[in-house]
Amino acid sequence: MPIIEVDDLSKVFRLNQKEPGLRGAFKALFKPNYTDKVAVDHLSFSVDPGEIVGYIGVNGAGKSTTIKMLTGILAPSGGAVRVLGRDPHSQRVANARDIGVVFGQRTQLWWDLALIESLNLIAKIYEVEPARYKQLLDQFSETLELDELLKVPVRQMSLGQKMRAELAATLIHEPKVVYLDEPTIGLDVMVKERIREFIKQQNREKQTTVILTTHDLGDIEELCQRVIIIDAGKVIYDGPISTIKDRFGKYRTITFETGSASTAGLALPDGTELVANEPRKLVVRFDRTRTTASQVAGALMEQADVVDFSLAEPDLESIIKQIYSGALREEVAV
Amino acid sequence: MRKLKRYASLYWLFLLQRFKVLMEYRVNFLIGASSTIFIQAASLMTVWVVMGQVPSLNGWTIDEIFMIYGLLTLAKSINHMFADNLWTLGHEYIRPGGFDRFLVRPINPLFHLLADRFCHDGIGNFLVGLVLVMRGFENLSIPWSLGNIAYLVLAVLAGGSIFIALNLITCVTSFWIMNSVPVTLAVFQTHEFTKYPLNIYGKMIGVAMTWLIPYGLASYYPASYLLGRDVGYMAWAMVPVAAVLLAAGYRFWLFGLKHYGGTGS
Repeated sequence: MPIIEVDDLSKVFRLNQKEPGLRGAFKALFKPNYTDKVAVDHLSFSVDPGEIVGYIGVNGAGKSTTIKMLTGILAPSGGAVRVLGRDPHSQRVANARDIGVVFGQRTQLWWDLALIESLNLIAKIYEVEPARYKQLLDQFSETLELDELLKVPVRQMSLGQKMRAELAATLIHEPKVVYLDEPTIGLDVMVKERIREFIKQQNREKQTTVILTTHDLGDIEELCQRVIIIDAGKVIYDGPISTIKDRFGKYRTITFETGSASTAGLALPDGTELVANEPRKLVVRFDRTRTTASQVAGALMEQADVVDFSLAEPDLESIIKQIYSGALREEVAV
Repeated sequence: MRKLKRYASLYWLFLLQRFKVLMEYRVNFLIGASSTIFIQAASLMTVWVVMGQVPSLNGWTIDEIFMIYGLLTLAKSINHMFADNLWTLGHEYIRPGGFDRFLVRPINPLFHLLADRFCHDGIGNFLVGLVLVMRGFENLSIPWSLGNIAYLVLAVLAGGSIFIALNLITCVTSFWIMNSVPVTLAVFQTHEFTKYPLNIYGKMIGVAMTWLIPYGLASYYPASYLLGRDVGYMAWAMVPVAAVLLAAGYRFWLFGLKHYGGTGS
């Protein structure tokens, strides 16, 4: 039984298209020219309890609009959303008890007060039992290293400290579903690591379902078993990371360092392409389904004075780049 | 009942939170809370100077005018203390996106908005209003009977509700327009008329301040009643009018909220 069900979901915003300049502004005021902007376009997917799903896409792809519909902030224009069996918009308050949301750059903490004051009030808002609250506070203090921060006003915290505090505030009522919008943006490696650990721990111990939007591939590789990639409001990929890697890791590149400058008239095996030919450096891309790294390397070593070579593993980043630039859409179309 | 108790205790906690913030900036707090007293003093001075030249204004003595003024100030201070955050709905919540936070918390978003910022500046207004009304009771020999005290409390609460409801209605426009402050201000400022007896104005203003923008129900009519000037049922009109306006304001708020659900910020 899925915990989140998104069925044919759409969101269309009506925008008043303005022409530039003051004249355009006046014209828009008296003779509005409305255009529909489709932010989310017939989206369908479902998420099972305990999953950590990476929800990714370029800026403007429709990620935040989807999250806003999942959290109940926005009403869908078409289709349906169910979170824990409820319609999050019409049953907003009931839904709010079971979810936690981190809005990347915006804090929910009282800026001028010590962190503990914010946590105390938030626990009351969510009616967390006092004994349980104390227990969780101890637990969070340990994993997020909050001990010394509890008495510090939020305005004096560093970015990393603020995000740790924010996560504690978001999870203090033990929500069943957590939406994290860019939780590691701008943070250093150590803090990122700690935050990922914390998310993993919550997920493991409480079966917390996590929807994570991020541009940080490290987050995805470390946390998510599954990614949903959207583009222009549509799902263009939904599946495990390993499949993406296989599918888009079809091409690999080998970089050769050569002793002599002359590399003219090279004969390359089938399925191989020379992508860069610089003095003392050759970059060759090959199709893994048609040839092998050893064949390519062998052929090149016979013909050129190879000093060194390295084989690049396909990383998620370059795969995502490919996907964003349209490779997947073409593939899906076929 | 359980819900009421929960909201009452939450309000108290938000209030404590607010005072803790204010205590972080003590000087600001003192200046804010007392600034309204100075503003009121200047305004009262004007009345006093004018009334020094004319012994009575259309049959109203200076003490009686201060009574009207005091009742209005008390009603206004209720709005100022408990509902001042309505003014900031557009520019501090909707536009920067913070309003979304209210919508993902399991409490009523209007309650959250109001509870988020108790306005201490209103305390000064409250004290000025209280002093003026008490002075009126003394100087005009209005008996401190239980009935009069109960009427006073009712008038101030209903009057305060009229202020809150009208501000709510004008501030809800923030869901559609970029800046609702001019709209709110335009309506709110008309309360200046009702610091004086309504019968000194032309008929239009009197009717408008009674039926259209009924701030007059919070000042002129209750003062008349307490002073023994017969205004008939109008002495009690503030109660049903406040109830109707609050209900209308809340309906309009829900309508605005629905619009927000369609468009976002």
